[in-house]
Amino acid sequence: MDDYKFLFKVVLVGNAGVGKTCLVRRFTQGLFPPGQGATIGVDFMIKTVEVGNEKVKLQIWDTAGQERFRSITQSYYRSAHALILVYDISCQPTFDCLPDWLREIEEYASSKVLRVLVGNKIDREDREIPTHVGEEFAERHNMYFLETSAKESDNVERLFMQIAEDLMKQARTRDLPRYDSNAQSINGRTSTIGDSSCCSKLQ
Amino acid sequence: MDQLPTEFDVIIVGTGIVESVVSAAASRVGKRVLHIDRSDYYGGQWASFSLESISKLHEEQIERKNIINSSHIEHSGISEFVELGNKLFDIKNIECTWHVQSKTDTEQSKESTEMNDSDLIQNLVPNEEQHTQETVTWTKEALLKESRKFNIDLVPKLQYARGDFVELLISSNIARYSEFRSVSRVLTWLNEHLEVVPCSRSDVFSNNKVSVIEKRMLMKLLTSLEDVEKDLSGCKDKTYHNYLKEKKLTPNLIHYVLYAISMSDNNTLCEQGIKQTRRFLGSLGRFGKTPFLFSMYGSGEMPQAFCRLSAVFGGIYALGQPMKGLTISENKFKCLLVNDQKLTAEHLVLNLEHAPKQFVDLKKLEYISRCVLITDRSVMSSEKEHLTLLLYPPENDKNSVIMIELGTLTGTCPKDLYLVHMTTRQKTNPKEDFLHIINNIFNINHKDTESEKPKVLWVCYFSLPDFLSSDVKQNVPDNVFLGTGPDIDSDYDFSVKQAKEIFSKMYPEEEFLPRAPDPEEIVIEAEDEEIEDKDMADKQTDQKDEATDGEVKQKAETKDTETKQKAKTQDTETLENVEKKQVDH
Repeated sequence: MDDYKFLFKVVLVGNAGVGKTCLVRRFTQGLFPPGQGATIGVDFMIKTVEVGNEKVKLQIWDTAGQERFRSITQSYYRSAHALILVYDISCQPTFDCLPDWLREIEEYASSKVLRVLVGNKIDREDREIPTHVGEEFAERHNMYFLETSAKESDNVERLFMQIAEDLMKQARTRDLPRYDSNAQSINGRTSTIGDSSCCSKLQ
Repeated sequence: MDQLPTEFDVIIVGTGIVESVVSAAASRVGKRVLHIDRSDYYGGQWASFSLESISKLHEEQIERKNIINSSHIEHSGISEFVELGNKLFDIKNIECTWHVQSKTDTEQSKESTEMNDSDLIQNLVPNEEQHTQETVTWTKEALLKESRKFNIDLVPKLQYARGDFVELLISSNIARYSEFRSVSRVLTWLNEHLEVVPCSRSDVFSNNKVSVIEKRMLMKLLTSLEDVEKDLSGCKDKTYHNYLKEKKLTPNLIHYVLYAISMSDNNTLCEQGIKQTRRFLGSLGRFGKTPFLFSMYGSGEMPQAFCRLSAVFGGIYALGQPMKGLTISENKFKCLLVNDQKLTAEHLVLNLEHAPKQFVDLKKLEYISRCVLITDRSVMSSEKEHLTLLLYPPENDKNSVIMIELGTLTGTCPKDLYLVHMTTRQKTNPKEDFLHIINNIFNINHKDTESEKPKVLWVCYFSLPDFLSSDVKQNVPDNVFLGTGPDIDSDYDFSVKQAKEIFSKMYPEEEFLPRAPDPEEIVIEAEDEEIEDKDMADKQTDQKDEATDGEVKQKAETKDTETKQKAKTQDTETLENVEKKQVDH
């Protein structure tokens, strides 16, 4: 069995083409996918990191392209510990859609979910959204804020490590969204559930 | 927003469970799928709603009818245009009523929080102090404030732990998209009381309402029925009730086996009854104390799980799409008209609800009566929260009723409240069909203030078509397939069977929902992004088959070391060919 102490579910949302998949790939595999197409076949990616000598497994979920026509399933948001809302700093419409995304997050995600606003593609020279505008938006909506470049690998590691650290902190103070008496079920590979009060993950 | 692509292998209209399973299956084997719905939510007649939105169900139905009526397009050329939708299978008899005061002095909420201004509502949880109070007085406003914590199913389903549906979730790896909770007790109404039904052997022995002789009888019967090889020749042409009587069981035992364990009634034929009993017994001991599972956040999650898999394998999703209709030529579906676009595909799968009138030949339509209650306590109080299945036997002129009581641990209702779903074959109308149960088990008018019965705070009745008992003939072009809506059975077997049939008619050569690879197994090559998913999956399976335990372990170790290093150095390294393996399969 894997010897990690915590497993956190992190989900990404934001308009199509803002670089969600690239952020995940950059972080989990250290590569920047050259392809432009929508994300196919990728469900979630896993990376284990260390926070203060503890192993933390991050399960990072991508939208599977369902954001393209604003049709993300509610169940995508269920049980998320952290939520990364991404826009493209060189594309105003992706920023303008943020309130719509927030509405959806409010509706389906846990109220305690850790929220991070990310302005991606800072390698681009045709910036349309100044840093302070993003910052202000994040502040207004009680979110963390970070600008990244998946291409140049700027702040990507920092983004996810920050999330891991914060979630660890929350976990220690028991302030984590608790989805069940048995949080292990997120990763449960068992086929028998002894205690009927636990929820079961089928495998 | 983007324009939709216009060419597909299959277009699927409606996001009910049948359509969603077909969609997942088609995408999984590499077909180009467009999955589209007129509503802006998933599930159609299988959806779950917040308290606020289920209260608007009635309005939505009316609105939808208007949409259907308003669109009209001229015929063009040789192809024939038909409008989508019919009014045959609408939800009927919708009636929701509050049984709480509208506002009281104890209500501490800030005024001005309008429910239609969804942005403003945050932290809907009543504070801790309220919870610790002996009696919480719920008001309409307080309940509506918690609206989103409710996931109210139109069609609540329980899954048999070893049923076809659960097996499909596991074999296809779709199980990873949902969590389940096992039903923790099965109750029945016997001699004017609620009684716990002994399900397993240990239940039978620990049950103090059953005498020692009865225990032996019951064990003997259940053991004999479990044996699939057993000759059932004594079973011909009689009801299950008579069969059990001939076994000389006591009336109480007959009640347990007939009405609870086999979910039969007095007219159920013996063979069917035994089949049902086996279905129950066969699913014991896998997850929890009873044979049943319930999906967290409600049954509305189930279609979504299949849709997620479909999307992961390239299916395109578009909800809230106004669809005008479709064109047919030479008895074949040609294109679907969405917005101003013409979308073409080789096959079209439609939910019956969306099907053009001329595709449907309705012979007989039966209904399911539904009743949903919000109550302030469980039907049978207990220290820990239970997920309860109550099987209420037929009574005089009433059909048997399946009741599911859900607490907050299921993610379908807020703390300190219970959500009760009742389902039965409709006899007259939902209100009358459940009246006796409401009177026997619940306190609906709050007249008796001393009553221990659960207080009903809100009630909603409606009728859904039951496609299991109805007779609907299809009159469709060659490449069009219709998926049905809800059915009275407690599990999804009926829908999965249909989905399989539709899929195999479209793609007779293809495998139905082969196991999707785990993320750890996906090979990502930096050089070549455009790997065909199907090939990828096949490659995975091959590799997996070949790998011996030793190899797998070794690879797992390598992976661990890699990860460690990465985490420590915090440097990102480019891995040309990352290969990850599932360790514990």
